[in-house]
Amino acid sequence: MSALEVRNLSKTFGKIEAVRDVSFEVPEGGIFGLIGRNGAGKTTTIRMMMDIYSPDSGEVIFRGTKVGQDFRNKVGYLPEERGLYKKMKVLETLLYFAELKGKKGRSVEKKAKEYLERFELGARAMAKVEELSKGNQQKIQFIATILHDPEFIILDEPFSGMDPINTNLLKEIILEQKRNNKVIIFSTHLMDFAEKMCDSIAMIDKGQLILSGALDQIKNRYSQQNVSLVYEGDIAFLRNSGIVEKIEDFGNSTGVKLKHESSSQQLLKLLVDHNIVVKKFNANDISLHEIFVELAGTADDLSSTGGN
Amino acid sequence: MLNNRTLAVIKREIREKLLSKSFIIATLLIPVMMFGMIALQTVFIKMEGDENTFLQVAVPDANFAEKLQKEFDQRDFVKDGSYQIRVVVSDTSTFEELLKNAKPDMLSGKLSGIVQVPPTATIDKKLKYYSTNPNSRSVEGKITSAVNSVLIDNYFSSKELSQGDLNYAMSRVNMDGFRITEDEKIEEEGVGNRILSFLFAFLLYFSLLFTGQSMITSVLEEKSSRIVEVILASVSTSELMAGKILGSALIGVVQMAIWLSPVLVIISTSIFVLPPELILSITAGHLLYFLVNFLVGLVLFLGLYATLGAIFDNPQDAQSGNLPIMMLIIIPFFITFSMVNNPNNTLATVSSMFPFSSIIVMPSRMTLVDVPLWQFAVSIFLNIAVMFLIFPFAGKIYRVGILRTGKKPSWAEVAKWLRYKN
Repeated sequence: MSALEVRNLSKTFGKIEAVRDVSFEVPEGGIFGLIGRNGAGKTTTIRMMMDIYSPDSGEVIFRGTKVGQDFRNKVGYLPEERGLYKKMKVLETLLYFAELKGKKGRSVEKKAKEYLERFELGARAMAKVEELSKGNQQKIQFIATILHDPEFIILDEPFSGMDPINTNLLKEIILEQKRNNKVIIFSTHLMDFAEKMCDSIAMIDKGQLILSGALDQIKNRYSQQNVSLVYEGDIAFLRNSGIVEKIEDFGNSTGVKLKHESSSQQLLKLLVDHNIVVKKFNANDISLHEIFVELAGTADDLSSTGGN
Repeated sequence: MLNNRTLAVIKREIREKLLSKSFIIATLLIPVMMFGMIALQTVFIKMEGDENTFLQVAVPDANFAEKLQKEFDQRDFVKDGSYQIRVVVSDTSTFEELLKNAKPDMLSGKLSGIVQVPPTATIDKKLKYYSTNPNSRSVEGKITSAVNSVLIDNYFSSKELSQGDLNYAMSRVNMDGFRITEDEKIEEEGVGNRILSFLFAFLLYFSLLFTGQSMITSVLEEKSSRIVEVILASVSTSELMAGKILGSALIGVVQMAIWLSPVLVIISTSIFVLPPELILSITAGHLLYFLVNFLVGLVLFLGLYATLGAIFDNPQDAQSGNLPIMMLIIIPFFITFSMVNNPNNTLATVSSMFPFSSIIVMPSRMTLVDVPLWQFAVSIFLNIAVMFLIFPFAGKIYRVGILRTGKKPSWAEVAKWLRYKN
């Protein structure tokens, strides 16, 4: 049984159709990626999963029942645009967020202090939030997200606006939570991150689902007939070759789609014959980015290399 | 709706308020200001600034001059030396000469002015005042009253009236107010309750605007710092809105109770001995009604203010949307002024029960007249009814607005939000 089931969600704002008939399942345990470019409908979908927005139609089922307060109490949510009360003290802030989730008392306070120590903020517990650097404020937000020990962690574009140190820190937290058998759902437009971290994904474009499932299965399905290539030289001649269906240049690597799966050896020979220096030749391999481009048709507004 | 999450929000609101400087300052400063203003007013009234006035009064004949000089010399403002008045005899032919000679003194300030009592004044009672500052009301009042009594005296003395008749004709009518209430005894009414009426209206007016403003600021902060989405991951929008409104309203009522405590002390103990014309004839029950009415009013207005904060993105835009709500506070405040002349006028009676306006008008009115119990009940009931009527809409707008950013929405767009399914 899946942990969360998104069924036929639709949401419009006035004339704008933000999400149309989106369905996917989030399995128990592991990391789930909600992937799509900016404005694809990821945040709206997540807000409906959080019951912050009510869908126009469709529903979100959490272990057999519709999501509501019960689900909210079990979730740690880090929205894309996140803030803190500037005048509140650090520890006070953490305890307030835990209290909103129904957790309070000594044990929570002890845990909050432990987290602050771990993130090297132990000395700042009584400081006002506004006295902290932006990076440290982000750390407070991480702690607030997981302090109440949620079963689900939902992160909306978690890596946007984050420095490398915090990016690594957050990755660590995510992997640690995964080891603890928690369900982690994050949305991103960064294909590389998703590819490296996710166990399963749902891909959204223009408000509609274009792909979903376990990542390895998806890659298996799309990687046949595909060669991922790193080379030096001019491969323009391939466009006229009878065995190639399509070439996509992704900067770091090039994806070559063959007409038949069996002609990958033929492609390698062609490259060698044309004096192309082949640095990497990966048959039956495809990046998430290539899959997205193949399905969505364009790579505008999409980044495969990180950075925002 | 009143669950642990709402309570957590209420607690946070209260803690934040109690620690904010503007709240502490307002709580302490308002009573100081109130008493300070009353004290200042007393000082200002006494200080009309017309000490060292030196006047000449030109009258047509010596008999008139003698009587008038005597009349002036009896008056307090001459006795205490703040006015020096010299009555001179000058008929129409010599007056111009007199005026011309006095002009340099008037320009230099040695002479404040010349009052001409022309011979025609015995018929039409018209005087002329020549001065560099001819519009001084305090001079006018002092001169005309004295001149009038001499004119009357002269006029009737030729008509064989007794001095008693004359005194009767000249004395002014004086009316003291007595309040009829359900109580057995009839009390003489002083100005104390009029002051209280204004004080109540002012406190309500100030507090509604002040608390409302801080609600707008607080919602805008949550919205612009984007903290609201984090909170909405834990609580529903209605829980958040209810928590914010109740937290602010409770602290507002506590603040009001602090402001009112001097009044309670005055009416319930005999520590302060007030002069009889300042006696406050209200009961602790009135004060209790005041606080209950204020709580209802705050919740109602804070609901509107929270909605307003959610619609807009920044204080400037919110200020422009604030106008309709401010009208709901300012107009009743002005209505309370109309009551000073007749607290039972139709406008006052209706507006003291009408939703929104009753919040300010009723407490002010109850200090001036004996308001029947049913009218108190109606005023509170109607406000609560309005609350139930508009809060579902306010909540919906709040819910859509609070997560919305970008360009300033038009009222037409806001109306469309009501149709969103959310």
